[in-house]
Amino acid sequence: MEQHVMNSIEQSLNNNQPLSSQTLASLRSLIINPTTSDSSLSSLLDALTRSLRLTRDSVFLHHCLKLLTDLSARRPHLSPFAVDLLRSDSLFSSASPRLVGESLSALLSLTSSQNDIDAARFVSLCLGPSVPVRLWLLKNAEKFAIRESVLLAVFLGFTRDPFPYVRKAAVDGLVKLCKNGDFNDRDVIEGCYCRAVELLRDAEDNVRSAAVRAVYDWGKLLVISSEERNKQDSSDAVFIQLCCMVRDMSMEVRLEAFEALGKIGLVSEDILLQTLFKKVLGINKDKIYKPIKVFEISASAAAGAFVHGLEDEFSEVRMSACYSLHTFTVFSSQFAGEALNLLMDMLNDDSKIVRLQALNTMHHMATCNHLKVEEIHMHSFLSTLFDSCSVIRSATRKILKLAKLMKLELFKLCIDGLLGNLETYPQDEVDVFSVLFHIGRNHGKFTVLMIEEVSTELEPAFGGKLGFDSTRVAAFLVLAISAPLSNESDVCGVPSRIFSYAVTWLGRISYALSDVMNRETLLAYLSKCSRSSTISLADFKIKEALPTVKGDMPSHLCSEVGSPVSMPLWQKGVETFDHHHQKLFLGKSGTHLEYGLRECDELRQSVNLVFRKVKDLWSLVQLGCTNEALKAIRACKEEVASFTTDSPGSAGAVAFTLQYLRVIKLLAAVWEHLMPTKKLNCYGVGKLELLLGKLDRRLREIRNKFIGLSKAEELQILELIVVACLLRLSKIEICCYDTAMKKLSSIISHVEILRKGGPIEPSHFIIEVKKLLNDIGSSSGGSTCKPLLFKKLIDSFSLHQFVLGGSPRHINAELEVPGNDSENPLPFIPGIPASIPLAITLYNVLSEHRLWLRISMGEESTQFVFLDLNLIRSSDEVREFTFVAPFYLTPKAISFALRVSIGIECLQENVHQVKAFGGPKRELAYLCPEEEIFLCKSTKW
Amino acid sequence: MAIDSLVLGAGQEVGKSCVVVSINGKRIMFDCGMHMGYTDSRRYPDFSLISNTGDFDNALTCVVVTHFHLDHIGALPYFTEVCGYKGPIYMTYPTKALAPLMLEDYRKNMDRRGEDEQFTSDHITECMKKVIPVDLKQTVQVDKDLQIRAYYAGHVIGAAMFYAKVGDAAMVYTGDYNMTPDRHLGAAQIDRLQLDLVITESTYATTIRDSRYGREREFLKAVHTCIAAGGKVLIPTFALGRAQELCILLEDYWERMNLKVPIYFSAGLTIQANMYYKMLINWTSQKIKETYATRNAFDFKNVRNFDRSLINAPGPCVLFATPGMIVGGFSLEVFMQWAPSEMNLVTLPGYCVAGTIGHKLMSGKPTKIDLDKDTQIDVRCQIHQLSFSPHTDAKGIMDLVKFLSPKHAILVHGEKPKMATLKERIQSELGIPCYCPANNETVTVPSTHYVKADASETFIRSCLNPNFKFSTYSSVDKSYLDSKYSKAASGLQVSDERVAEGILVVEKGKKAKVIHQDELLLMLGDKKHEVQFAYCFPMHTERLQKTRTEELPSADTLLCDLDKCTLINQLSMKLSNELSDANILDLGEQLQVESFRVSICSKNSCPHRLSHSVHNDSESVFLCCHWSLRDEKLAWKIISIMKSSSPHTT
Repeated sequence: MEQHVMNSIEQSLNNNQPLSSQTLASLRSLIINPTTSDSSLSSLLDALTRSLRLTRDSVFLHHCLKLLTDLSARRPHLSPFAVDLLRSDSLFSSASPRLVGESLSALLSLTSSQNDIDAARFVSLCLGPSVPVRLWLLKNAEKFAIRESVLLAVFLGFTRDPFPYVRKAAVDGLVKLCKNGDFNDRDVIEGCYCRAVELLRDAEDNVRSAAVRAVYDWGKLLVISSEERNKQDSSDAVFIQLCCMVRDMSMEVRLEAFEALGKIGLVSEDILLQTLFKKVLGINKDKIYKPIKVFEISASAAAGAFVHGLEDEFSEVRMSACYSLHTFTVFSSQFAGEALNLLMDMLNDDSKIVRLQALNTMHHMATCNHLKVEEIHMHSFLSTLFDSCSVIRSATRKILKLAKLMKLELFKLCIDGLLGNLETYPQDEVDVFSVLFHIGRNHGKFTVLMIEEVSTELEPAFGGKLGFDSTRVAAFLVLAISAPLSNESDVCGVPSRIFSYAVTWLGRISYALSDVMNRETLLAYLSKCSRSSTISLADFKIKEALPTVKGDMPSHLCSEVGSPVSMPLWQKGVETFDHHHQKLFLGKSGTHLEYGLRECDELRQSVNLVFRKVKDLWSLVQLGCTNEALKAIRACKEEVASFTTDSPGSAGAVAFTLQYLRVIKLLAAVWEHLMPTKKLNCYGVGKLELLLGKLDRRLREIRNKFIGLSKAEELQILELIVVACLLRLSKIEICCYDTAMKKLSSIISHVEILRKGGPIEPSHFIIEVKKLLNDIGSSSGGSTCKPLLFKKLIDSFSLHQFVLGGSPRHINAELEVPGNDSENPLPFIPGIPASIPLAITLYNVLSEHRLWLRISMGEESTQFVFLDLNLIRSSDEVREFTFVAPFYLTPKAISFALRVSIGIECLQENVHQVKAFGGPKRELAYLCPEEEIFLCKSTKW
Repeated sequence: MAIDSLVLGAGQEVGKSCVVVSINGKRIMFDCGMHMGYTDSRRYPDFSLISNTGDFDNALTCVVVTHFHLDHIGALPYFTEVCGYKGPIYMTYPTKALAPLMLEDYRKNMDRRGEDEQFTSDHITECMKKVIPVDLKQTVQVDKDLQIRAYYAGHVIGAAMFYAKVGDAAMVYTGDYNMTPDRHLGAAQIDRLQLDLVITESTYATTIRDSRYGREREFLKAVHTCIAAGGKVLIPTFALGRAQELCILLEDYWERMNLKVPIYFSAGLTIQANMYYKMLINWTSQKIKETYATRNAFDFKNVRNFDRSLINAPGPCVLFATPGMIVGGFSLEVFMQWAPSEMNLVTLPGYCVAGTIGHKLMSGKPTKIDLDKDTQIDVRCQIHQLSFSPHTDAKGIMDLVKFLSPKHAILVHGEKPKMATLKERIQSELGIPCYCPANNETVTVPSTHYVKADASETFIRSCLNPNFKFSTYSSVDKSYLDSKYSKAASGLQVSDERVAEGILVVEKGKKAKVIHQDELLLMLGDKKHEVQFAYCFPMHTERLQKTRTEELPSADTLLCDLDKCTLINQLSMKLSNELSDANILDLGEQLQVESFRVSICSKNSCPHRLSHSVHNDSESVFLCCHWSLRDEKLAWKIISIMKSSSPHTT
């Protein structure tokens, strides 16, 4: 059979006749048949090649194409030949556009990698009369390796096409191009932005919604490329432009508009406020923005954008509007206040998801300390506590936990609401009790007043019989017992017998409060309080023992985090637990362990929330709005600083987050110098160098001072270090090329090791860096500086959200010289070594760590003393000991001061430093702030 | 061509909407409403203005009614049955279904008040038989030329905006509409159309309304507080529209809050209306349509029928009772029973006609109301005022007009001073000419007229291929940037030249034709002409001459070819110094820059020489220049360079 077919092919080819369709059909059967030998298949390919030269008939070409695709799909090893044939001119230059399109898609499906259809052919195909081919090419343009400039021209040109779908594909192409490409030419950016704005008035819904995306994306570039002083204005202008679309007749366009609005990070407050009012505010009356010279837009166009969004007929749009609001509530408290008025009304919405989103946005506002609930809101707000949907109820309670109420009436309304909730939905008891406890702690005074009012209800009924059978009483008891733990200073007045009543409810209460304290603690606490007739000093001690609440922090900031309202650890109180002890203790019973874990989880959640915020902030940095970003990071730091750190493992997580924030802050500060608008002057160089030095130090600390990080976490930190290296490399002015390169390659090899050890994928960015390193290494021995290459790489970096999975342990130390200050100095004799007794507490230091004491006197002399951990017998977690450090070079002076600190040797740093006097071989990361020690010449002699 | 709009009603007032529009020979009457405020002849539009003879069938092509409110449909039975119009009438299905209810209700009320009967029950039935129902977005071919199409308008169930097109002239009549959705109706929705005229209502021409959520919240709070305290809530309301909206609101709230307090509907219209609503789900908002799969939103779960015996039953309840404004009937009966208790609540609609009990309650809280000589009601209950309105506000009107961007706009259905303000805004902010005619005035606006043209094959082919061009600042004329139309110009522009390449040819007696520009000459059988500029000017060549005299004693002869070449050569060098980027071609005897050519003029009287410059100077040499239009600027630049610096410096 095979032979027969081949012969007939041979025959017809020899006669210069094209293959008949019958022969082609039999060829197909040959190809499909798995037993056909390879040799006949390759001769078949030859035959096809030859016959392609003979005919231009489109039916034949079509068959041929089909055969080739089949062949390469079934015989992968022959596929390159088939692809070559496909690429040959015979198919592409066909008169039938359909065939061209099909051969292109066949080509795409066969070759996975780069498709080198050349630009000229691409453009000429696009410009051809066939609309389907044009559409297909535009949609798949990114699969061909075509220069950006060509693509840009093609896409921009086809936004003028008379066919709406081609226009849409072209606009989509522009959006993709904008995301992936690297455009610095202001003219191009303005041109694309203008075209996108023009298309907002297109007659087709699809084109309009694509244009909204384009306006957002090119608008972003427009903002980036604006001069520093115009940034805010251009960003506002883009925002207003998008606001114009929220009243479009098409739902898709409106949805798209709100999604885009929510993503714009930087908008001035006036404009934001305008979106909440349909009337044009006085301040915005004649405000005209000119993002581009020839283009203007009036601020009044933003009027009521969010009002319309929240009133929209479609729940999707309403939800999107609610969601977008939450981005802006962070920036302005005034905006948040006005937005709250609107959001409260959304709680009456008929769609559940909209109500939930409104509550989530409010929760977000509460975490930003921008939630100011007023009396007129209370009815609709509290009515959500009666909602038939349990998710909505719990979302409301989550907000209540954080709420800071200014008036007693509001407080009472809330408590009533919660009690009503409890009555209607008894299944919510656990959560309601927990909320009551938190709310009581946040409003100590109100709680006391409230308890006084209802105290009769709490008393046992006549006849001395305890009638505590109502849940309502239990709820009040929970509220009452929270009062002494309040952070409001002068709270006392809850009668002590109430606490003993509460003991009878111990099971239910402790179950509800398991996120705050365990049953034993609760019992101890209750009995302690009930023993003393008034709130005595002892109770005060308990209060102090609550490590959570720092005096200057508003309490809702503390509890904001969701959970970590402190739990009294009794550390310095009646009973003593240390971390270690507690852990053992927790290990005993399942429930307790559970409780510990739960608390940890909640903390982790809130920490991860912060990480997410940081990731969102990064876009601000990329936009060049560094000041705003720094401000926000600072706010994050404050927030994290207020997290409680008393549960096991939480201290490490908090410390880690703080350190991470410090790193990001510096990174943002350095990033600013990369912006194209920023000219680097001499002063700038110095500053940048300082910043980079600081960044390196911080990174060293985050890398070395934490143990117990997962590989993925470590990888993310390494990525940041890589970025820091690249930043250095991209600035020739300050870069020590060799050192930086060495460091970079060592980090990358470390990444490799990590990757080999487990199933983690390095990010695209890291892969790119690796590629570049290989390129440099292979090209020229690596001595050439390529700042532009590095710059480009840096541009491709975007911050991923850091996800804290475990609980890292923080290596830190406390250092003290007991009783030493400038008035009580230590004695010394000039010229003779002085001994300095140091009380040292080390946390989480492992025995393989190498610790050094750094003792420095002024700027000139520094001395390192090795701390041999093997000499100290203690657990890894906490080592407390006294160490007498010698200081050799005592000066000939009456008195002097030393600065002492403890550093850990960075074992992972490969770059060795040569230090005299047997100091550390590698860089140190310091574990505690420098302690000043005063010495004075001994007079006893 | 023009569109004439004769405003028969609702011109600078609210009531008896009626506009007769003539487009291209077709006459359409939009709405046929009555004015509720009058009982004399002013109640109806002045139909005699349409036709003196009363032959309405020939004077009007059709009547279009937007929705079932009486100020839009009230005069219809009178017009068809009494005036004798027999032509087609168009309205949407729900309007057709609900209009008889409205008209009948009105007729009964008229009866009750003892006024003259304008039309009878039979009239209504007969009138409705003439109605042709239409669906949303359904294009109806009224006759060969006239197309109409309905678009969703919100406002009340079945309300529509109507698009009408005759030939190339197109317009939209909005009727009443609402740009924001409410609990049961969606927002107005219309396509982007090419329009010559939009006639829009302007009830709230200057008001900007807050979100309806605030009003809903107040309402729910009032109702909830009342029933939580064990009180009874009376909601006197009109049977259609508001009752359903409020009921959906309450039903939803009941559902969410798990409330078990009964909601009652008083018998009568409301039940019947609910039945219609249940069938007209298609005309409601997205949410109701979506839930329809599981449950009909108008199948109120908590709603029961009211029984007179329940009036004094203990316990809280909510009651919807007709008529609104408590003018009498059942709502009055219940009000008399419930008003004396502080626990109870009465909600009133936003607008109550003077003289009704509703109006008395609204204007300051009275403690006693005298019903008639013998009856006095002791009013101690709480009063809540509802201010829901299904009309769009000023911003909504602006948004719609902006979205439609018609060539002209007419405002109707509003108050005169407010309409004037809105008119100004539309003209200044949107740049659309706007009118607000009074009743019985006619506004004439020009309409679009398209000429149908054939297209040649070459042109069609050229249209298929994209042909876009890019331009940047540098090539855009500066004056263009400064001009008023500079808005579109920017750094990088793209234009598609396909249409510019076409040429419209209108030959006498033949159909117009669009051809490709390359075809034009062929078609006309003519040659291509090009405009050429020429200029001949003298150049002083003293120095040149001097050096030359020494060599050539007979200097008065013409400059020989060689000299010409030297001069040209010198000019060429000069020019290449000045114009660094121009491509200068030295062709021996002449110099070429783009289309600009210069050579030494050998003629004594060159036609391009300007007369005053002819002063037979033997020491000058004449340079003759030619160029075509496109290089005009360049040419003058070169000439000025040549003039300013005679080549004697060499």
